[in-house]
Amino acid sequence: MIEIKGISKSYDSIKAVAQLDMTIQPGRIYGFLGPNGAGKTTAIRMLMNIIIPDEGNILFEGKDQRPPSNQVGYLPEERGLYQKISVFETLQYFAHLRSVPHPNEKIKAYLQRFDLGSRLQSKVSELSKGNQQKLQFINTILHDPQYIVLDEPFSGLDPVNQLLLKEILEEMKQAGKTIIFSSHQMDQVEKLCDDVALINQGQLVTAGKLKTIMQSEGVQRLQVTPVNENDLSHECFSAFNSDRTNGSVFIEIDGQSKQDIIATLNKSMDLKSVKVAEPGLEEIFIHLVQGSQS
Amino acid sequence: MNAWKIAWFEYRRRIRSKWFIIGTFGMPILILGISLGTGYMAGSGAGIETKNFGMIDETGFYGGQLSLVLDQRFADKEVPPFNIAVSNGSFESLQTQFDELVNDKTLDGYFVIPHDFMSNPVMRNYSQSSSTFRSTDLIESELKELLIKQKANSLQLSEEVLGEIFFDVNVAHFDIGSSEERETEELIADYIAPFIFMFLLFLGIFTGGQLLLRAVLEERSSRVIEVLLSTVSYNELMGGKILGLGLLGLTQSAIYLIGAFFAGSYYDLSIITPAIGLLYFTYFILGYLLYAGIYIGVGALFDSEQEAQQAIQIITFIAIIPMVLWTMVIENPNSNLVNILSYIPLVTPFFMMIKIAVGETSIFQILTTIIVMIISVYGSIRLAAKVFRTGILLYGKRVTLPEIYRWIRA
Repeated sequence: MIEIKGISKSYDSIKAVAQLDMTIQPGRIYGFLGPNGAGKTTAIRMLMNIIIPDEGNILFEGKDQRPPSNQVGYLPEERGLYQKISVFETLQYFAHLRSVPHPNEKIKAYLQRFDLGSRLQSKVSELSKGNQQKLQFINTILHDPQYIVLDEPFSGLDPVNQLLLKEILEEMKQAGKTIIFSSHQMDQVEKLCDDVALINQGQLVTAGKLKTIMQSEGVQRLQVTPVNENDLSHECFSAFNSDRTNGSVFIEIDGQSKQDIIATLNKSMDLKSVKVAEPGLEEIFIHLVQGSQS
Repeated sequence: MNAWKIAWFEYRRRIRSKWFIIGTFGMPILILGISLGTGYMAGSGAGIETKNFGMIDETGFYGGQLSLVLDQRFADKEVPPFNIAVSNGSFESLQTQFDELVNDKTLDGYFVIPHDFMSNPVMRNYSQSSSTFRSTDLIESELKELLIKQKANSLQLSEEVLGEIFFDVNVAHFDIGSSEERETEELIADYIAPFIFMFLLFLGIFTGGQLLLRAVLEERSSRVIEVLLSTVSYNELMGGKILGLGLLGLTQSAIYLIGAFFAGSYYDLSIITPAIGLLYFTYFILGYLLYAGIYIGVGALFDSEQEAQQAIQIITFIAIIPMVLWTMVIENPNSNLVNILSYIPLVTPFFMMIKIAVGETSIFQILTTIIVMIISVYGSIRLAAKVFRTGILLYGKRVTLPEIYRWIRA
């Protein structure tokens, strides 16, 4: 378990992270979300011990002590690779630094799995952006770390490789690894994460189980589809907070009962279907970020 | 342990790089080529343009004589440095004509030998530029000889008497306690060797320093630094880099010294002694560590190599001082100025290397300069560590001097 307790970091007069508290349970995938400039990277760097917090502490398994480097894998947001050396040398060097025993077999196996087997001797600069991201990911997990921190891991990957990455993350979760990743791709977060934390302007907005947050923080809406398409712009919708998308009108359920809304609409038109639309994570994200700013 | 792994990685990948091989072996070849090439060019007259001078000879004698002497002197030259066209007559009558010839570029200038030259030997030179200045040396010395001969004739001195009066003095050189005269090559080698040692030291220290700067900039700009710092500590990373690239500089120096030793042995010259070798490596290590701190600190502050190189320029200029003053140091190794400069840490290794190779220093001076260097290295590395730790992750931010001061004080 990782416990982040009241960490703060300032750069001159700018407070990048302020009194951040988070608890990351072992064997789970933890989504770390926030808009650009929210303080995610600073928080991740403090977690990785790259920068020291001005205050607060980070406990690994209850100890205020950094785990050994071979227990941690980190994928930074931008490519952290030497461009002028080969794929094999890159992985060998980091494996050596992390004291991986007999790394060559593992390197070859991972490269095969990521369809990079033929690029063993290629220089990193010769790889495409997506392949460099795959190499970076292999470098992060090659030493089989217990804690894996991924900053935008899906960036630059095509759908096939996104799926492969997801598969591997699931495998690692099954193996009891603790995975923390930040991403702007809410669909990936929704599919992968058990828990999430959202920060904005350096402060925690919300944190907890993804399902609980989606239920408690999301604004429920009714998806109404009239029989007659012309009714989509009927004036009775102006009584509600609503918007029109793809042949349906979405009405926010805000203090009124669903039955009252349906009864009001039934007086003005025939309804083809009415269903409750569950909010998406993206919607919750926007809602919470805007709420925290106001 | 991690520092050694980083050091080995840096050493291994740089020593195999074609640029290191080209640089290490190409540099002496280039220097040798330039020395031989310029020597050949100077000898062959390549790049020399023949100047055309006029001469108004009011004596009606010296001009003609000078012309004959110069023709003999330049007979074996493909390109004589100058030609002289002599006209006998008075300056007043010929001045306008010669001025016009200079103005329309037919002549580069002209000389006037006055009618009373024998009693008042002052020759005048008229020209539009200073490019004729160097040519007057030769004309002066040849005229002087003609004048002496003329005076000797007027005093009715024979050639034998003249030979008795004018002769060359030579100096024979011996080592203390030796009866064997030293050869000219040996003397030249002794004179040049201190410069070579200093130059090799300079090359080794700055090759390592420059590679260090590039290595830091490469890791900073590619963000590899973040992956590394999630794996190793700042001190391990910095220490590993300094160590690895220092070993590279040592390898380069060892190659040069071994080369110099064998070259010296081939010509029967003992320019490298074990003591010089030991002190060379001592000053190399101390000098490299001092500059390593500076280079690594600067590398941690900038995003591009161009900006970093501009910032480091001032330091490079200071380090060039010994390269400019080396002849002065060889000839005056214990002057007050040289002794003071020998205690300025940025140039201490270079000045001391010259003094040691010349054999004009004391154990006291060696020990005290080593102590000064050790203190400076400690300060440089300590400050660099503070700047490195804070500055290395500040991407895209222009750091100010007050900020650096704050980091150092923190």
